[in-house]
Amino acid sequence: MADAASIAVPRSRLWTLAKKELFSLVVSPISWIILALFYMLRGAETVQLLLNPAVAQNGDVDGFVMGYLIGAFQSTLYMAVLVPPILTMRAFAEEKRTGSLELLMTAPVRDYEVVLGKWLGAWVFYAILWTPTVLILAGLQLWLGLDIAYGQVFTSCLGMMSLGSLLLAAGLFTSSLTDNQLLASLTSILFGLGLIMVPPQLAATAHVDVDSPFYLVLLDQANVARQLQLFFFRGHVDTGHLAFYVSTTVLFLFLTVRVVESRKWR
Amino acid sequence: MWTEQAECPAGHEAWQPAMIEVQQLTKDYGFFRAVDNISFAVQPGEAVGFLGPNGAGKTTTIRVLTGYHPATSGVVRVHGHDVLADSLLVRAALGYLPENVPIYPDLRVEEYLRFRAALKGVPRREIRSRVAETMDLAGVVEVRRKLVGQLSRGYRQRVGLADALISRPPLLVLDEPTSGLDPNQRRRVREFVRDLKGRHTILFSSHILSDVEEICDRIVLIHHGKLRAEGRLEDLARDLGVAELRMRVAVPESDVGELLAGLPILGQPATSVAGANLVQIRCAIAPDDAQNEDDLLGECYRRVRTRGLELRELSLHKPSLEELFWQLTADTERVAESGEGLPGDAA
Repeated sequence: MADAASIAVPRSRLWTLAKKELFSLVVSPISWIILALFYMLRGAETVQLLLNPAVAQNGDVDGFVMGYLIGAFQSTLYMAVLVPPILTMRAFAEEKRTGSLELLMTAPVRDYEVVLGKWLGAWVFYAILWTPTVLILAGLQLWLGLDIAYGQVFTSCLGMMSLGSLLLAAGLFTSSLTDNQLLASLTSILFGLGLIMVPPQLAATAHVDVDSPFYLVLLDQANVARQLQLFFFRGHVDTGHLAFYVSTTVLFLFLTVRVVESRKWR
Repeated sequence: MWTEQAECPAGHEAWQPAMIEVQQLTKDYGFFRAVDNISFAVQPGEAVGFLGPNGAGKTTTIRVLTGYHPATSGVVRVHGHDVLADSLLVRAALGYLPENVPIYPDLRVEEYLRFRAALKGVPRREIRSRVAETMDLAGVVEVRRKLVGQLSRGYRQRVGLADALISRPPLLVLDEPTSGLDPNQRRRVREFVRDLKGRHTILFSSHILSDVEEICDRIVLIHHGKLRAEGRLEDLARDLGVAELRMRVAVPESDVGELLAGLPILGQPATSVAGANLVQIRCAIAPDDAQNEDDLLGECYRRVRTRGLELRELSLHKPSLEELFWQLTADTERVAESGEGLPGDAA
């Protein structure tokens, strides 16, 4: 029999949990369907850009790169909003429904490790989802000898992953609130759609400055579409925007931890 | 504090704190009181049966023990640590098999156990060998490449047990490990758990009484969230009351009184005709007399033989755990109704 001295608080299990989450996503059919849809859309966009007269006839290959990155705004932004909720909808809802959350939380793990682990696993999967986008550019550079501004590619990826971090955290949060995956994903999809649609509407109708009411300033700061289109996709990084993504991600992760903990107050 | 507890075995050399110590535990869910002021202790190395009908509060108590839900009031210590203050230490010290064994259906058995081993802090270098060893122990080697979702209930239960054992915790908490299994699966799980006795302290929750009888030395019985009985099985059975002497013998009914004269029987023997010439005799035996089973049965046999009677049955039925369970947990109205007639009161 083990004696008292041999029982110790284990090291952080963050990476173990993240790996498990990543693995679950990789073996889930839904992830592969998303992956396929994602690249059908991405592929259609790329082909359309390549057939664009400016590129196809005039050889404006630099215009292609610009279009490829900024053009991502159109349909890909919708994908960027729809995909994270689907990746995270199972995270807690499924575990609650089957009861495996009890088994998970009675292992020697901290609540925040579970939340962070799940988020990290989903984040890595989401990053893998975006990788071929960059590989296409690298391929075109190799075959067509394009001169690609990798700085701009990097900031574009940074922007998409920042938005992804926020939406994955929001998705985890809604998943932790319910044991119904559909409800979890719908709620966070609505949140994401609101995020890309409401602030631009506001920008078109109202002028926001420092004297505006707080909620208007907040909505103005949350104009992720503009942040991506005018800054990240063009190679500009504003630390204010990064701070927005980091703080909102942390906020949602914190809320998720509180929800997971809440079983202890009931 | 446990250091002042009366349960401390006097003169015990290397005295250890109780493995589980529950003091005045109460747990409310909203307005519903699931567990009402229960106290019990489990010493290291013991196998204790945690009994009660469905909805008695067993799972709630276990959830408090594992730190999944906090107590409304009371103190719970596992392995000397408070379940709330040192939750991680408590969780590291116990292997838990929840009811219905909720395990990830999309992992293979081996992958699942590796994940759990890593989660429970088995050193990385040892994970491979530990998983192999535990799969062997739990008898799941043949399904190691199967998805957990495709396993039969019996195998799932054993994977759950393997998971509970993977970190070799001093305490195993098993919530209804044999429920929903077919008789063969039940037997395997029961034998497996019985083999773990001695190496681990076991808290075995169940309402399948024969399993508890086979595995556990002691029971804790709760009903409607209240503690109804706690103690060694033999003691409880003895306290429970009278045993029953049964005889089927070819004797005229009028001679039964004479045949049984002088035996330590309580009240009047009940007789009934059980076929040609045969009479079925049942009589109550006081618990203390029932202890000398061999003497009593021997004496009956001698009496039958000296009279040259034909004997078909001679047995002594001691109260079973099932009767104990029934008496302690049957609804209050029933107990009130027949309470005076309870053999327990006569003893």
